[in-house]
Amino acid sequence: MKFLSSHQSGFISFFNEIGDMGNFTGRYFRELFSKPFEFREFLNQCYQMGNKSLLLVGVTGFILGLVFTLQSRPTLMEFGAVSWMPSMISISIVREIGPVIIALICAGRIGSSIGAELGSMKVTEQIDAMEVSGTNPFKYLVVTRILAATCMLPLLVIIGDFVALVGSAIIENAKGDVSFTLYFNQVFEALEFTDLIPATLKTFFFGFAIGLVGCFKGYNSNKGTAGVGKASNSAVVFTSMLLFVLDFIAVFITDIFYS
Amino acid sequence: MKSNSGNNLKLGLLIMVGLIIFTLGVYFIGKKQNLFGDSITISSVFKNVNGLQPGNNVRYSGVNVGTVKEIKFLNDTAICVNMLISQESGNLIKYSSVATINSDGLVGSMVLNILPTDKFPSRRLKEGDTLYSLSQVATTDMLNTLNKTNENAALLTEDLIKITNSINAGEGVLGKLLKDETLAKNIQESAANLNFTTRSAKSGLTKLNDLLNSVDYENSIVGLLLSDSTAQENLKTTIQDLQASSSQINKLSANLEEFSNSLNSEKGALNLVVKDTTFVNHLDQSIRNIEEATHRFNENMEALKHNILFRGYFRKLERKKARQENGNK
Repeated sequence: MKFLSSHQSGFISFFNEIGDMGNFTGRYFRELFSKPFEFREFLNQCYQMGNKSLLLVGVTGFILGLVFTLQSRPTLMEFGAVSWMPSMISISIVREIGPVIIALICAGRIGSSIGAELGSMKVTEQIDAMEVSGTNPFKYLVVTRILAATCMLPLLVIIGDFVALVGSAIIENAKGDVSFTLYFNQVFEALEFTDLIPATLKTFFFGFAIGLVGCFKGYNSNKGTAGVGKASNSAVVFTSMLLFVLDFIAVFITDIFYS
Repeated sequence: MKSNSGNNLKLGLLIMVGLIIFTLGVYFIGKKQNLFGDSITISSVFKNVNGLQPGNNVRYSGVNVGTVKEIKFLNDTAICVNMLISQESGNLIKYSSVATINSDGLVGSMVLNILPTDKFPSRRLKEGDTLYSLSQVATTDMLNTLNKTNENAALLTEDLIKITNSINAGEGVLGKLLKDETLAKNIQESAANLNFTTRSAKSGLTKLNDLLNSVDYENSIVGLLLSDSTAQENLKTTIQDLQASSSQINKLSANLEEFSNSLNSEKGALNLVVKDTTFVNHLDQSIRNIEEATHRFNENMEALKHNILFRGYFRKLERKKARQENGNK
């Protein structure tokens, strides 16, 4: 009975949280289209999320391309289809692996950062202080961060995909004597707009989800400093899960329209 | 403030780099699909497109010149494939070219190939042209044929196994050839004989060669026959005449044989004369009677000369004869 009641409370709190997040999202869109717009803070957040994540994304993408090519090569060689490597790698990276892996990396870095930052501001009552001082903390802290995450993630994914393809090309050049020109010719031979456009569009939603969950968890954190850690942690966990759900929905919709 | 502008610069660079990469990606993909630059739309009608899809490459002599734009049914047996090809390529491709659908490798995607033809002169392609189509063997057809070939090969192998088994068991001509020692010995002996014969033939040929070398081609008959075409012709004619004579002699021999047979037969008169003694006796008696009758007739005639009635007539004949003899002298 105790077990059931604990699960019931868990479900109730989950749906409560979903509802709160819905309200939070609604408030975000209301605040997004209302003046004044915190452009300077938006640029600052873009810099913090974009430029500060670039190295991580670049290294991750490069290693992703290297490892993916190295792992796929023996199998393709077994089938005598090693010449299909650029096509396979490019489609895999551009369509799915690049956006998802880089979004997960950003969820870890950006989502936790936002959650921890806003959480600490919440527990130290800085947000309340902002409200008292007449500044709209939601507009200043939340809208700018969500918008920055929404705008920066596609750029990071594009750069990450490109670096991953470069990493793959290096391995192909070293192991298979495939020139960079031939490699990228085959890449663009294989890619279609139906690969690039839906994959790029879904990264906007990934960025939005990262910013939204991070801000929500941080903005609604409590219970002191422990709440900051919890907010940061749950932001990453929830965002990661949400990314996969969003990815499934994106792939499903793409399949409906382009298959 | 300085820090903020530095950050903005870095951010701007990041955005520019991201946008450039994205724009280049879009450009290269779009360029491949002939979205940028002048292009023309042509079409071709097929009975079966073998899984061709919009976006598949269009190749002319192995070079990518465009992409498949649209595939639509015209009726239940005709499918129209619209292609988007670059204007530059369209200026090179002739209207008489033929479109075929092939697979890009054994497991590759489908490709629409435009093949040039030199059969008759024609103009260059222009917007809206419809190319002739040619149905080629699809991979499935090839695999079906291959499957049939494999089945036949299996049957052949089975038969071959039976044959080799019977050969190993020493059955049949081949089996005996391979397994029978007596036959092997015979063959060995035959080979030895053949070898001997060959040597003899070689020796004979050498002698014949020497003989032919010793022939005086200018003066001897053989030389004349071998070298003079007129003599050869004469000899040929002579041989032909001999053949004709031989044929006639054969016929004559046959007639003689027939005559001889008829003589020998009991029904012939000559056989009666030669073999029937009674008939010969009768004949002999008849001849004697005739001789005796002739003698008596002569006596009667002599007596008639001396008869008074006929004496004048005979004297008259004698005088006429004597006059003729004198006249001749």
